[in-house]
Amino acid sequence: MNIYTYILRRLLYIFPVIIGVSFLIFILFNVVCPDPTLIMLGKHATPEQMAMLRTELGLDRPLWVQYFDILKSAFTFDFGRSWNTKQEIFQMIKNGAIPSLTFTVPGFIFSTITSLSIAVVVAFYRGKFLDKFFVVICVSMMSISSLAYILFFQWFFAYKLGMFEISGYEDGFPYFIPYVILPIIIWIILSLGYDLRFYRTVMLDEIYQDYVRTARAKGLSERVILFKHVLKNAMIPVITYVVIQIPYLILGALLIENFFGIPGLGSLVVDAINSNDFGVLKAMSILTSLAFIFFNLLSDVLYTMVDPRVRLK
Amino acid sequence: MPSVLLTSIVVLFAITSCFKKDADFQGKELNIAVKAQVKGMDPIYSDDRYSSTEVARVYEGLLEYHYLKRPYQLQPNLAEAMPEVTDNGLTYTFKIRKGVLFHDDAAFPGGKGRELVAEDFVFSLKRLSDPKLLGNGWWTIDGKIKGLNEWREKYNKLPQTDYTEEIEGLRALDKYTLQFKLTKPFPQFLNVLAMPFASAVAKEVADKYGKELLNHPIGTGPFKIKNGVFRQSNRIEYLKNENYRKKTYPCEASEEFSKEYLKDCGKQLPLVDRLTSHIIEETQPRWLNFLKGKVDFVEPDKDNFEGALPTGNELSPDLKAKGIQLMISPYLDITYTALNMELDLFKNNKKLRQAMLLAYNVNESNKLFYNNTGIPAQSVIPPGLKGYSKDFQNEYRGAGKAEQIAKAKELLKEAGYPDGKGLPVITYNCTSTTDAKQIGEFFQKQMAQIGINISVIQNPWPRLQEKIKNRQVMTHGIAWGADYPDAENFLQLLYGPNRAPGANGSGYDNPVYNKMFEQVAVMQDSPERTALYEKMNKMIAEEIPWIFGVHRQNTGVVHGWVTNFVQTDFEPGRSAYLSIDVEKKKALLKGL
Repeated sequence: MNIYTYILRRLLYIFPVIIGVSFLIFILFNVVCPDPTLIMLGKHATPEQMAMLRTELGLDRPLWVQYFDILKSAFTFDFGRSWNTKQEIFQMIKNGAIPSLTFTVPGFIFSTITSLSIAVVVAFYRGKFLDKFFVVICVSMMSISSLAYILFFQWFFAYKLGMFEISGYEDGFPYFIPYVILPIIIWIILSLGYDLRFYRTVMLDEIYQDYVRTARAKGLSERVILFKHVLKNAMIPVITYVVIQIPYLILGALLIENFFGIPGLGSLVVDAINSNDFGVLKAMSILTSLAFIFFNLLSDVLYTMVDPRVRLK
Repeated sequence: MPSVLLTSIVVLFAITSCFKKDADFQGKELNIAVKAQVKGMDPIYSDDRYSSTEVARVYEGLLEYHYLKRPYQLQPNLAEAMPEVTDNGLTYTFKIRKGVLFHDDAAFPGGKGRELVAEDFVFSLKRLSDPKLLGNGWWTIDGKIKGLNEWREKYNKLPQTDYTEEIEGLRALDKYTLQFKLTKPFPQFLNVLAMPFASAVAKEVADKYGKELLNHPIGTGPFKIKNGVFRQSNRIEYLKNENYRKKTYPCEASEEFSKEYLKDCGKQLPLVDRLTSHIIEETQPRWLNFLKGKVDFVEPDKDNFEGALPTGNELSPDLKAKGIQLMISPYLDITYTALNMELDLFKNNKKLRQAMLLAYNVNESNKLFYNNTGIPAQSVIPPGLKGYSKDFQNEYRGAGKAEQIAKAKELLKEAGYPDGKGLPVITYNCTSTTDAKQIGEFFQKQMAQIGINISVIQNPWPRLQEKIKNRQVMTHGIAWGADYPDAENFLQLLYGPNRAPGANGSGYDNPVYNKMFEQVAVMQDSPERTALYEKMNKMIAEEIPWIFGVHRQNTGVVHGWVTNFVQTDFEPGRSAYLSIDVEKKKALLKGL
């Protein structure tokens, strides 16, 4: 099977997945959730207004019609207007995507490069002090909650030392940079522990393979073995790990965005949860699912480029 | 490696920090911290504190509250004077101010804002009533204006609303004269006209932007939004409206305001050149931004309260030294636990209700949940409103005294439940927040003292609302904030015909009280009305359909460079009166 046929087939698989995801979203928001009109109309809600609002939101239509609306929105991206703010949901998502990416992408790139590099080094010094030192650091970093990093860094580096902006955001390059430096640092610290532990395991798995022993027997230097052979062969799990994280970048980071006042998709989701804005939550659930489906496909395709032994079936 | 990375990031920061927009601005700028996301800027949807405050920077209505008078006093805003009201209280005739201009916008011919006319209010109130738009403020005029409900019902069934159709009770008699005819006397109608819902919107703007009007706020107000477009983000920037009509800072104030507040008497409003609303939802960054001087005033939250006000009513020496001032004033609100008065258990057992109020230690709850700043509620009307009596003490108001607990036990015995025996488990419903849970557990503990068994049930807010509306709760914890400064807004919470799904969540329905309410609701402000309010307040204090909580206080901390700052329950419109002492700010910032 050539790669195009494979991609086409995988794209076709998306349909049943979307049907299933839409159904779950429908059950959660349209069947299980309580009547949203009460919260939307607040303390002065009357039965007449609630009935009118249900009509406006389409909640008085048969359930199967409501389900097909959700399904349709997964293909058209027409999510209607927010139930809380009355803003166009697609526009809200578009507005939020860039601020999220301005700190998640640099954070992701820096953390991946850093952790991969350190992983190669600790794999080289496996079992020695440096390896143990980084393992301890990793576990310690992972054990601290993200909220603790955020609160401490914001208070200490931004407020006490005045090195960074406490919170806020400016649209446009380069104005946003002063506002995203601290969120980027926190993102890197939060990711480093998990990434480093994973990459170290991957490297060590490879290091004990037969071909490494063969390479050593042939007299290749440890450096050449690590960088030319081990690193390349470790790429499949690395790619899976990296690609599967991309949807999270687009989604932003709920806590970081909220604490640093970054008007990204993470804040959007937090606001939607706080205000029971089911319209936005449905849209974000659909887009998240689509992102995961797409990036899964991408990682499968990338395997074939990295490792010719992988055959598409 | 990480240190190299960190160093490079810091260097990058140093390089880029010079790229700050408007870093050289030297004028007067207000920086306001906003606690929640602003939904949009369409007056008909401005039903929360934050959106209505932002809306009122750009839009204006016929009336407003005097900035420096307490109790709150209405005064003309876009109206030339207070209206002429007929003796039967049914017809209100307003003269509109001449020469008031809308902000410039492409919606107007030549892009120049046109003059405001009476017809703009007719259009705006029809827009608020439009069944296709479902404005959140419809309740304010629902059933009040002759012909308006019929108009709404008619167009609810038709595909399009016709704004040209005349409505008997809502007419522009000429270019500058507006007349309202009410279905029945409603003295609070003037308060409704001071709410942002009733702001003037130009038809041309509404036609051009349609539903997107919420992102194109074009009003007559003291500020205009920068670039003319609102975008949901972390900040909203406003510029002074250079074409603002002649409106000056007041020269009169109530006694509680010092002479300092009249220093800007007669000065043209607004007093600042620009204003930025910073949306900062989390408490820590909001507080740190305040301490750094990035925002001009904040309300200290629970997490910062003890540090800022160690004694509860005085600033810490550290903050005082930085020139920060403390402003405290009561909110027009009440927290309470509503008892379901439709259940026989509560309905036919006043002694049980009295025992419960006596057993509830309000002082302890005030300490635990309101930093000891609340005012224990004796009944339903909060301080600051006519009908509230400072000296009135509810004899069943519990404060944790041993004799009160003993009396509560005695009352419970008389109610037929000695030591709580025979009483079912009483459920207490609240929202799913941590605070709500803690308040519920505190209530549980207080009632356990006299043998009443309480079970706390947490619900997501919509579920709780649904349960209250469907009468599926035995008791529930809730609060009410004033929509307008009139005791009627609180007393209606216990008016029988308002019971759920109306605002009367306890379902209290007393024919004597109902009759008094019907009488007082149509009375104009007078000593007789105040006396009746007091009588009803005392009646509720004795009837106890609620376990009264506290009237919360508004505690604000303000930087020394902000002048004319007052605490108010009706924040919309305040920003036009605030000013900044630029030199003082420069000096004080050095110490922060």
